[in-house]
Amino acid sequence: MAAERLFGSWRERLWPVFVPVALIVVIVVLASFGSGSLQRTVTDGLIKLVIVVGLSMFIGNSGVVSFGHASFMAIGAYVSAWFTMPAALKRMRLPDLPAFIAQAQVSQLEAAVIAAGVAAAAAALIGVPLFRLAGVSASIGTFAVLAAIIAMIGNWDGLTGGKSSLIGVPVYTNLWIALGVAIAAIVVAHAFQRSRYGLRLQGSREDEVAAKAVGIGIYGLRILAFALSAFFVALAGVLHGHYLGILSADAFFLNITVITLAMLVIGGRNSLAGAVVGVIAVTTVTEVFRRIEAGFTIGDVVVAAPVGLTEVALAIFMLGILIFRPAGIMGGNEFTLPAQLGGKRHDRVVGAQG
Amino acid sequence: MTILLQGVLDAVSIGGLFALMALGIGLIFGIMRLINFAHGELITIGGYAMVVLADAPPLATAILTLLFVILLALVMERLAFRPLRQASLPTLLIASFAVSYLLQNVLLLIFGGNTKGVNFLPSLSQPIEFSGLRITYLQTVIIVVTIVLLVAVTLFLKRTRFGIQMRAAAEDFRMAQLVGIGATAVAVTAFATSGFLASVVSLLYITQIGVILPQTGLQPALFGFVATVLGGLGSLLGAAVGGFVIGCLAVVLQIVLPLELRLFRDAFLFAILFAVLLIRPQGFIVVRWARERV
Amino acid sequence: MLAVAGLQVSYGSIAALRGVSLSVGSGEVVSVIGPNGAGKSTLMAAITGGVTPRGGSVVFEGTSLLSLGPKRIVQRGISLVPEGRRIFSSLTVHENLKVGASTRTDRAAIAADIERMLGHFPALRERLDRPAGRLSGGEQQQLAIARALLARPRLLLLDEPSLGLAPLVVDLVYRILARLRSEGITILLVEQNVHRALAVSDRTYVLRTGSIEMQGTSAELLQAPRFEEAYFGFAGMKRGDRGASPT
Repeated sequence: MAAERLFGSWRERLWPVFVPVALIVVIVVLASFGSGSLQRTVTDGLIKLVIVVGLSMFIGNSGVVSFGHASFMAIGAYVSAWFTMPAALKRMRLPDLPAFIAQAQVSQLEAAVIAAGVAAAAAALIGVPLFRLAGVSASIGTFAVLAAIIAMIGNWDGLTGGKSSLIGVPVYTNLWIALGVAIAAIVVAHAFQRSRYGLRLQGSREDEVAAKAVGIGIYGLRILAFALSAFFVALAGVLHGHYLGILSADAFFLNITVITLAMLVIGGRNSLAGAVVGVIAVTTVTEVFRRIEAGFTIGDVVVAAPVGLTEVALAIFMLGILIFRPAGIMGGNEFTLPAQLGGKRHDRVVGAQG
Repeated sequence: MTILLQGVLDAVSIGGLFALMALGIGLIFGIMRLINFAHGELITIGGYAMVVLADAPPLATAILTLLFVILLALVMERLAFRPLRQASLPTLLIASFAVSYLLQNVLLLIFGGNTKGVNFLPSLSQPIEFSGLRITYLQTVIIVVTIVLLVAVTLFLKRTRFGIQMRAAAEDFRMAQLVGIGATAVAVTAFATSGFLASVVSLLYITQIGVILPQTGLQPALFGFVATVLGGLGSLLGAAVGGFVIGCLAVVLQIVLPLELRLFRDAFLFAILFAVLLIRPQGFIVVRWARERV
Repeated sequence: MLAVAGLQVSYGSIAALRGVSLSVGSGEVVSVIGPNGAGKSTLMAAITGGVTPRGGSVVFEGTSLLSLGPKRIVQRGISLVPEGRRIFSSLTVHENLKVGASTRTDRAAIAADIERMLGHFPALRERLDRPAGRLSGGEQQQLAIARALLARPRLLLLDEPSLGLAPLVVDLVYRILARLRSEGITILLVEQNVHRALAVSDRTYVLRTGSIEMQGTSAELLQAPRFEEAYFGFAGMKRGDRGASPT
């Protein structure tokens, strides 16, 4: 009986992780039989999922909105590129690179970990002044950080290729690698959400003043969550760089910030299920509009919408959700156990004992 | 000495622009608890209005631009922010970010992504020279308009019945409603005033830089947001001072940074501002009631 | 004048008011007493348009207040002196008074009313151009009352006017209430300070966990054997403890 009870509670506890993971595994397996363009869409969706889950580690738990996470994505992408590009190419394209990086010989995995680690360290450092500020001010600060970092990347030719983009980044990201990182992100996000730190941070979410009053050290916790989420967002950047093989500062600015925030908001800020649902919903909508933008034929007429339509649609979608369903599609809930399978039967078991 | 004076002149005119910018943002924040990211797009759209109205007489261009931007601010309030009046701070923040992005892309749809030139009153850019100092008519106009508007807004808020009601609403919106101040009237006035300030900044700023893109408003707006934080969120005086300081700092950095580092000016600027905020996280002017609820 | 019937308010799944009915006649002083969390402030909010009830009615001089916004309710003649005073601390005393007359447009009469208030509350006259946040608690309470009166209400609502004030200042506040009453203003008073409330009011309702437990003239209630039980939720409280406010 005790085992049954333990089993029941374990199942309930793992369910919020199991459902999203199962969902994306199914999508990936189906996509792997699909066309090249479908696989690209799904891989891209998985990379965005890593960002959104990473974002939710910070935004979902702390309640502070960050507009600056794309900068960690950029750091991840560029640092990993520095460590994995062929030495000759680096000498030619990136003359300002410090010697130890220019000559570094590390595996792609090591490079990814270094890149994410650098981003997490940068986040922690930025967090020191940032989270001395109250919520709204900190949010503005994150946006300022992004603008500054993007300006630096866009202008420091000898380190980043600057305006002319960095080409020759080794391509290794595929559907399965992206899937692996996405699952890892979901598991860690779930563990953090349920951890002592995560719970304390959530306590500060609703009421900063009250949380301070009861002595929750939200300053340190926010820095911790910020660094942890930067780590995963940077991994998404690594995946992104090694997927496209080309890096440019613009790719890490407004569009990616808005798209990933839209995914988070549309699915629901406060749950993992929301992150997954948001990514699927937004990917579907943007994919449809991209097709329209690219043009299609009705009979003999080619219809093509002007560039920018997808973005306009996305922004309207996002505003509609914020106004009419502010907690997002999932309403902050995780996927719950179907009554037949879990919750109710478990109750009945407990009831029978009593 | 001349170089120094020249620097001061430039700094004052840019600082003035950013003070107006920050004041428009601070006004909305003070009353609605909303950081309006789309404030930058009001400025951009004013610029495009000037492009569209390029052939009209300058006075007509100026007046129509003012009216259009104010109207747009009111539409924004009605469609996006009025339905969100009860929303949480993070929701408002994300919503205004979405509005900003929406407007940028609507501009992209209409005007495309290429730079458009704005040639409004070219005679304003003529420099006046005296004792080695160069100042354009435009800079003079900016300085005068800034002073006039700062005084006008202050008088409006301090002396008029409606201004006092707005300050009351800024401090305690619920209580303001309980004494019979109409929430909608206050919000509409705040957005109209903010839109007016944005349209003036637009006329001056876009005339000065002479070109326009869908993202043009982003950078000055960002300076404006940071200015409101630097000045102390919730304080209008703080916002204006913060904007002025940031504008001046930007000019100073432009002068003192070596050529190869000038491209990184904004990074230096934000680094300095972060250092200031590390020492004084509440900003220049502490608003007691704002700290409790922000 | 004011008739509340079957009023129900909930916050999420928590019921704050479960079918509260009370009435206030013209010229009366009525008090609602009850311990912390009884729903007193919710009652005030429901009357002034601050929360939307789930059921019941609030009728003032024959018209329902439920679909009116806070501004319309003030215009109809109801003003609130809220719990914790909530004066506008960054505005001067004078500006606070002006804001109190937001629903009126008769400039000359407003100026005359402000002058009259300053006659009633001389402490405010001395500090007219100072930020209201610098006033003492008692002065702030006077300002909050004066601000509410500037809307020329026929019904004045007061939410815990003695909360957090020194006994001497409470005396002053209640002297003011007595004077308002003699001027013919109808008053609905919410209090934890049972003694004070009973002394000043004609009739009293005891509110506990969202329901009216008892009602009657104040004199009757003081004699009623069930009174302490109704108020505190259990019997056997010593007589001497009754006056103490359980804050």
